[in-house]
Amino acid sequence: MDGPWTAWPHWLVLLLLLPLGGAVLIPALHSLNRRLVPWWSLVVAAGTTMVSLPLFWRLVREGPFSYFPGGWARPYGIELRFDEFGAALVAAVVLLGPPVLIFSRLYAARAVPAPRLPFYYTLLLLNLGGMIGFAVTADLFNLFIFLEVVSLSAYALVAVGGRSAAEMSALRYLLMGAVSSLLILFAVGLLYTLTGSLNMVDVAGRLGELDSPAALTLAGTALVVGFMLKAALFPLHNWLPEAHASAPGTVSAVLSGLVVKVGIIGLIRTYQVFGQVELFFPGSLATILAWLAVASVVMGSFFAVFQKDLKMMLAYSTITNIGYIVLGWVLASPYAVAGGTVHVFNHALIKATLFLAAGALIYRTGQRTLEGLRGVGRTMPLTCAALAVAALAIIGVPPTAGFVGKWYIALGALQAGRPFFALVVIFGSLLAAIYYVRIINAFYFREPENEAVAGAREAPWSMLAPLAVLAALCLLLGLFVRLPLAFLESAAQSLLNRVGWW
Amino acid sequence: MAEALWYNLDYTAVVVLFCIGLYAVIIKNNLIKKLLGLNIMETAVFAFIVTSGMVTGGSPPVVGPGAEAPMASPLPHALVLTGIVVALATTALALALIIRIHRRHGTIEADELRELE
Repeated sequence: MDGPWTAWPHWLVLLLLLPLGGAVLIPALHSLNRRLVPWWSLVVAAGTTMVSLPLFWRLVREGPFSYFPGGWARPYGIELRFDEFGAALVAAVVLLGPPVLIFSRLYAARAVPAPRLPFYYTLLLLNLGGMIGFAVTADLFNLFIFLEVVSLSAYALVAVGGRSAAEMSALRYLLMGAVSSLLILFAVGLLYTLTGSLNMVDVAGRLGELDSPAALTLAGTALVVGFMLKAALFPLHNWLPEAHASAPGTVSAVLSGLVVKVGIIGLIRTYQVFGQVELFFPGSLATILAWLAVASVVMGSFFAVFQKDLKMMLAYSTITNIGYIVLGWVLASPYAVAGGTVHVFNHALIKATLFLAAGALIYRTGQRTLEGLRGVGRTMPLTCAALAVAALAIIGVPPTAGFVGKWYIALGALQAGRPFFALVVIFGSLLAAIYYVRIINAFYFREPENEAVAGAREAPWSMLAPLAVLAALCLLLGLFVRLPLAFLESAAQSLLNRVGWW
Repeated sequence: MAEALWYNLDYTAVVVLFCIGLYAVIIKNNLIKKLLGLNIMETAVFAFIVTSGMVTGGSPPVVGPGAEAPMASPLPHALVLTGIVVALATTALALALIIRIHRRHGTIEADELRELE
């Protein structure tokens, strides 16, 4: 397979241009032929997936590599960089893009008002493209730009279905999100003032020589708080549940699976940029973040237990899982960091499966609550099977995909000499088991009460097919996970060797 | 202390503006006022970035006959122009959402909307 075509340097920029370019063409295409729009979006998403393959191939063989779009070398030119941690997010985006778009064709036609359909597809592709850009850029200002592409399209996607609750929660999401974006822009401006550079590698090098701890601490704090809000880490999580629950099902899958991970990747970039700097914090930043992560794990599950709405439960469960990922990162042992990075990908896969399955149930029955959906396992067995598999995966039952990330984070806690945090991971899984078992119990072991549920037909094939593939991956990825883990472990080790901040 | 604040008047003004904006976003009840607060915060951040391009005694960074060093750094200007475009998009989207909320509920006061839910 190793031909000259995998080494072609322009794959990386094509990976960015394809979804963004494909997105902006959609309104024009819509006026030509409206039935082509879903297919076109699918072709663009699938094309993006194909383009990403040589990049992953090259990453595994050569390690991280850079691309300079203008031909100007670092630090003058703009740099795109494909590294292990960004690749975790890119992998999730390119894997989930096509299934979500296949699912959208029937789902969005009902959940989104017809005049808004082309914009739904435009925003969805912009969102996916923005996340790819965010993951591969090595320039601080472009980081902000792609963050805004992702965020703005996400705000609009929440409201695109036109439900009343959705518009309110979209506005709340926008106000919170815009404040965090400004904190990040402020920090980027401050770093530029301090170093005169915007390239991350260059800035990281120059920060080590600086002697202005107060300004550096301000920039670091602004970045961490800004990205914490984007990732919905406790106590900055309260915009998330309503926004994710009131959006259309496909949008929830993308928001909950992928968009919150942008905050995680942002925290990782902060970590890389500030690696060689001593910051003075009250206590240590890592300790604060570790406890906030613990609070996220516990509170997310705690609130989820008391929800009646299926999608609200899934949204709160996202807060829990963000807690695990951040915990993995701040424990800063190779196992924990690798586990956290793997969980970025695995949680995206599992949560997207859960939200798509919930979307299919709502599509057929119109019921959103656990009570309303009682007994739906008898009338829609395949959809419920996919949901049950993903629920087992997110609880962390071995050998599913969800198990591996959590297991490695727990091992990493022991490796870091903090056994308490390993207990938190296990305790969090038990809490998650409570409400996911409740869901499974309601679907399979109760009589259908609602006529809409009792008379429901199985979801259409264009929804079942992506669900089946994703659910199968939830099961299988747990078995084939040694490969990426070994790979990420060495990346984590080399990152941890270079930085002394944490 | 007061002298340092006066000497760095531009930064002081930026911090004050940022805090005024943040106050409005968090405390104000009216959604439009919250949005105005957001715009004030944006202005503060943009002003801060533009200031960082200043060079004492610098001339405008326009290359051509009569161009003389030292010049002000043009990069922050470019950054802020891009930032303004982003801010415009954010404001437009927020206003569109507020209009829809007003049409549906007849109010844009946050506490009244909370009661309606």
